[in-house]
Amino acid sequence: MSAPTLTTDTHTTTQASATPPTAGDRTRHKNPATVTALSRIQRGALNGGRALWRAGAILLFLLLWELGPLYLAPSSTRVFLPPLHDVLASLGSLIARGQLQNHLAASLTRSASGFGIAVVSAVVLGLLVAWYGALDRFLNPLLEVFRNTAALALLPVFTLLLGIGETSKISIVAYAAFFPVLLNTIAGVRTVDPLLIRAARSLGLSNFTLFQKVILPSAVPTIFTGIRMAGTSSILVLIAAEMVGAKAGLGYLIVNSQSSFLIPEMYAGILTVSLLGLAVNYLLVGVERHFSGWRTAVGVGNG
Amino acid sequence: MTQSSAPKISLQNVGKTFTVRPTKDAPFGSTLTALDGITLDVAAGEFLTLVGPSGSGKTTLLDLLAGLTRPDTGKVLLDGKEVTGPGKDRAVVFQQYALFPWRTAAANVSFGLEGPGKDGKRLSRKERAEKARAYLDLVGLAGFEDRYPHELSGGMKQRVAIARSLAYEPDVLLMDEPFAALDAQTREQLQEELLRIWRTTGKTIIFITHGIDEAVYLGQRVAVLSSRPGRLKELVPINLGDRTGDRDVRSEAAFVEHRHKVWALLHDEVLKAQQAGHAKILPDGTAPDEAPQPISGKAA
Repeated sequence: MSAPTLTTDTHTTTQASATPPTAGDRTRHKNPATVTALSRIQRGALNGGRALWRAGAILLFLLLWELGPLYLAPSSTRVFLPPLHDVLASLGSLIARGQLQNHLAASLTRSASGFGIAVVSAVVLGLLVAWYGALDRFLNPLLEVFRNTAALALLPVFTLLLGIGETSKISIVAYAAFFPVLLNTIAGVRTVDPLLIRAARSLGLSNFTLFQKVILPSAVPTIFTGIRMAGTSSILVLIAAEMVGAKAGLGYLIVNSQSSFLIPEMYAGILTVSLLGLAVNYLLVGVERHFSGWRTAVGVGNG
Repeated sequence: MTQSSAPKISLQNVGKTFTVRPTKDAPFGSTLTALDGITLDVAAGEFLTLVGPSGSGKTTLLDLLAGLTRPDTGKVLLDGKEVTGPGKDRAVVFQQYALFPWRTAAANVSFGLEGPGKDGKRLSRKERAEKARAYLDLVGLAGFEDRYPHELSGGMKQRVAIARSLAYEPDVLLMDEPFAALDAQTREQLQEELLRIWRTTGKTIIFITHGIDEAVYLGQRVAVLSSRPGRLKELVPINLGDRTGDRDVRSEAAFVEHRHKVWALLHDEVLKAQQAGHAKILPDGTAPDEAPQPISGKAA
């Protein structure tokens, strides 16, 4: 904690030294330039240390992955758990052969279409359900049943009815992504500050205008939280679906590599899946932050 | 005083009863009379303040004037016509500002300007922005157009809310304890600003407060409501002369005298309300204190 205090102190002195320095300044800091440089180094070290600490667990994990199979595990295990450089090498060759790109494209197309369908339909239905109480009372029990049925449990049904082609995969992704968006949309509309509604009503706004100008903008942050959750679960479910029956996609790559005993390639597939998940999550967090800037900023202001 | 024309606002024997949701103790629900037989005329351009103990139906009265609810008995007239719903001829300023947090100050002010105006015309984006700037300027917030509500202090938020309600040029300003959540200094400052705005715009203002000082300082007349059911106990005319200038009106003898009069009227009612345990009537018409409480009495 001492470093930041020192820094601010130096700033005031540097500003003050633009005007003729007073005696007090001179006694406090003999040489402001040295102190500034010193504090800059301290701050740099502090930031570097923080960054290292944040990355520490990841680095340690990667190190364990690299060295563990080589030195700790018996050689029979090494076949099933190849060190990191083997995995990276096969990842490189998968990219060089263009295979990874193909699988990634297949997976992305499926999850994006399913996700898109889910977001649009769930937001629309959510708004209707939240607005019309009768519809909510009618649909809610059924929605509860579906929501509590794990998407993957329905995978055989989807496959039986829609085949092993794209339709069944896109459908199951849409199904899995549908509920987080739906529930958050309903919650978002329900939790609009009643005072804002009163204020808008006192202006004589029609129901539609009220919805468009007050309820929707106020619910957007909550809806986006649902969309982010849906993004994560759409990838999760897609990989599982591709493992069961597919001719392309990251899930297929993983399972196919395993059954062909191409173990490093299997790990390369897994690594790609987790990187993809991370990327999607970061992207959606960014979008969420953009649309709910006014709300997150409230938290920052209070904290 | 404009005595030639009819009153701007006329309440004629207005009563409002709420049905309290059924509870375990009262399985068939009960009724709650919030307002009873209120008859009151407000002249155009008048500044009327309204005081009463909590639960006396002040906010209910304001809702009736705003057209957010309809009276069960009697009539609420505005310019001789019965109020049937909310409209842009009246504006409400709430205690909790009710600003839209996703809109900047200027966008909040222009909220009421979007859509057709009183004459059916729509303003262009540029005209709205100009008006918003003008009204923010009027409430002393020039230069804060692009700030979001969370970047403003309580006093500034209420200024934005006042600008928003003035922007679409209503004739009547209905204010529900607008300064209650502010610190004393900001409150005093805003009271003066409000008087200045009232003088420059000539609006009819009905101002609800629980502060006797505030009521006497701002109002031309103070309406004192009785404890539940809210009835009009007395109308106290306030005569403090011109309040412009740097005089410390609040410490003058006339102010103290008026203040004491209102205090005495209110005092009995506050005691009655306290003994009955009355609390605020919620906007949905329920009052947490109103349910029969033999069981909770035993538990306590």
